[in-house]
Amino acid sequence: MATIEVRVEVTGLVWEVVARPGDRVAAGDPLMILESMKMEIPVVTEREGTIKEILVTEGMPVSEGQVVALMER
Amino acid sequence: MSWQTEVDELNLRRQFADGLGGADAIQRHHEQGRLTIRERIAELVDPGSFQEVGKLTGQGSYQDGKLVGVTPAPYVMGLAKIAGRPVAIGGEDFTIRGGTSWSGDRKKGGQGGFVEDLAHHYHIPLVNLIDGVGGSVASAKRRGHAVFPGVHGFETSVSLLGMVPVVCAVMGTAAGGPAGRAILSHWSVMVRGSSQIFAAGPPVVQRSLGQKIDKEELGGAGMAVDTAGTIDNAAPSERECFAAIRRFLSYMPQNVWELPPAIPCDDPVDRQDEALLSIVPRDRRQPYNMRRLIGMVVDQGSIFEIQPTFGKTLITSLARLNGKVVGVIANDPMIYGGAMDARAARKQTHFMEVCDTFHIPIVMFVDVPGFMVGREAEAATTLREGMRSVFVGLQATVPILTVVIRKCYGMAGMGTTDKNGLDLKLAWPSAEWGSLPIEGGVAAAYRREIEAAPDPVERERQIEAELRALASPFRTAEAFGVEDIIDPRETRPTLSRFIDAVQGKLQTMVGPKLKPGVRP
Repeated sequence: MATIEVRVEVTGLVWEVVARPGDRVAAGDPLMILESMKMEIPVVTEREGTIKEILVTEGMPVSEGQVVALMER
Repeated sequence: MSWQTEVDELNLRRQFADGLGGADAIQRHHEQGRLTIRERIAELVDPGSFQEVGKLTGQGSYQDGKLVGVTPAPYVMGLAKIAGRPVAIGGEDFTIRGGTSWSGDRKKGGQGGFVEDLAHHYHIPLVNLIDGVGGSVASAKRRGHAVFPGVHGFETSVSLLGMVPVVCAVMGTAAGGPAGRAILSHWSVMVRGSSQIFAAGPPVVQRSLGQKIDKEELGGAGMAVDTAGTIDNAAPSERECFAAIRRFLSYMPQNVWELPPAIPCDDPVDRQDEALLSIVPRDRRQPYNMRRLIGMVVDQGSIFEIQPTFGKTLITSLARLNGKVVGVIANDPMIYGGAMDARAARKQTHFMEVCDTFHIPIVMFVDVPGFMVGREAEAATTLREGMRSVFVGLQATVPILTVVIRKCYGMAGMGTTDKNGLDLKLAWPSAEWGSLPIEGGVAAAYRREIEAAPDPVERERQIEAELRALASPFRTAEAFGVEDIIDPRETRPTLSRFIDAVQGKLQTMVGPKLKPGVRP
């Protein structure tokens, strides 16, 4: 089973984690919301799959390109 | 007596040229998923339009004075047509010594080659299909001396950038001179997965620095397009690369003495998309899809995005309004709230220069909170790159139409207007502006008052609310500080009228543009 890494496009703080391990998600679904430059930036998946692991918690700082979640197809 | 014998020899020599580096070399090239230079040209240009120049060049071999074969010069070029318009086109033949340079009396391609002279003297676009790694150390042995850098210099390549559209496509591996040549272009493209570009390839890197890195990691599209912005766009295959080249050229004039081609528009100019009324969320912390917004305003199907994967806080696209070419620059609120970072600034600088050079009016869709802030942003020279793009914007003489969608703040906000021209600024009702976003500036400007208050948090909130009321765009419109506020649905008809109206002026501005002064 192929693991998909979900990366963030911006540096910021994790504001809210929406998805939980085991959730089935479709392409375009938000997994979490980041706060960056005073905006709420959704982190969306590019593919459908099942959430395997969420690697961050609310309030945690993340950097551009960081892997924040793992999914399985 | 006719000249049939000589014509027979001519045809034999042409056959040798068509054979490129031989069947085995061609097969190896095809096995890499790559087309030969002759196949590439045939795929890209209008059928039957290729008028080759220099097909007889190469190294002939003779037995008793009789020709037995010719190893062609590893460069194929000439005149061709794309969408009915002439272009100069050429590319290295990788099947012959990996497309390394060849020493004839006159250079065929690359910097200083005939193909550049053709574009230069005939004022037609130049298309370089690059698949070579430049000079080889072995050439010194052949010549008997080392060649001084710049014998075949970049002077024509540079001059062309102010004269005719130059497109460079990296089709295979490019290093050295051909890699440098690729950068001297208005627009460049490469094939994701099968082409690479670098100053020098893995063997030189390992020898110089001890770094072990493979060529895809060093110079594939992931590095050259997405990370470094060295090349503008990546295409998934050679064929899609050719489609993209034809598309890019469809927005370009043949040279700076012409206007870009206007085409009939079947999308109603007065189309008012209802979705524009609610595309911007009322909650100013929530972003929206700027690409969708642009798509609803410009002619349907007319968007060609430049550098979509680099400098992503900014969107730069060629598009059309009522059939006329425009350059669209928009901030993307989904990435850093649309803040101008060093990468976005570089992208804007180049795109504005291309538009200004080819008389393409610019439409700005503004939602910029300012320059990007923070340690990484300062280290990445945001301020200098940002001010360079402001400088280039202020040197531009092409009309710039400003539509403020939401935020327009600070120095980045200044860079969105047309100070050399009419300076027409249209705003949506969702627009807001100032020297600094209110929430960032209150704590600094009212520090003493806030600290002295019995409830500092509450006092800060009160001051924010007072200032927010004054920030209404209608108050600025009363003062004619913006020229108009428009219903978002009116954006397409309004912009189209101004773009139509300025066409006559554009006609009076054609020709090369000299840019004095020192860029910051």
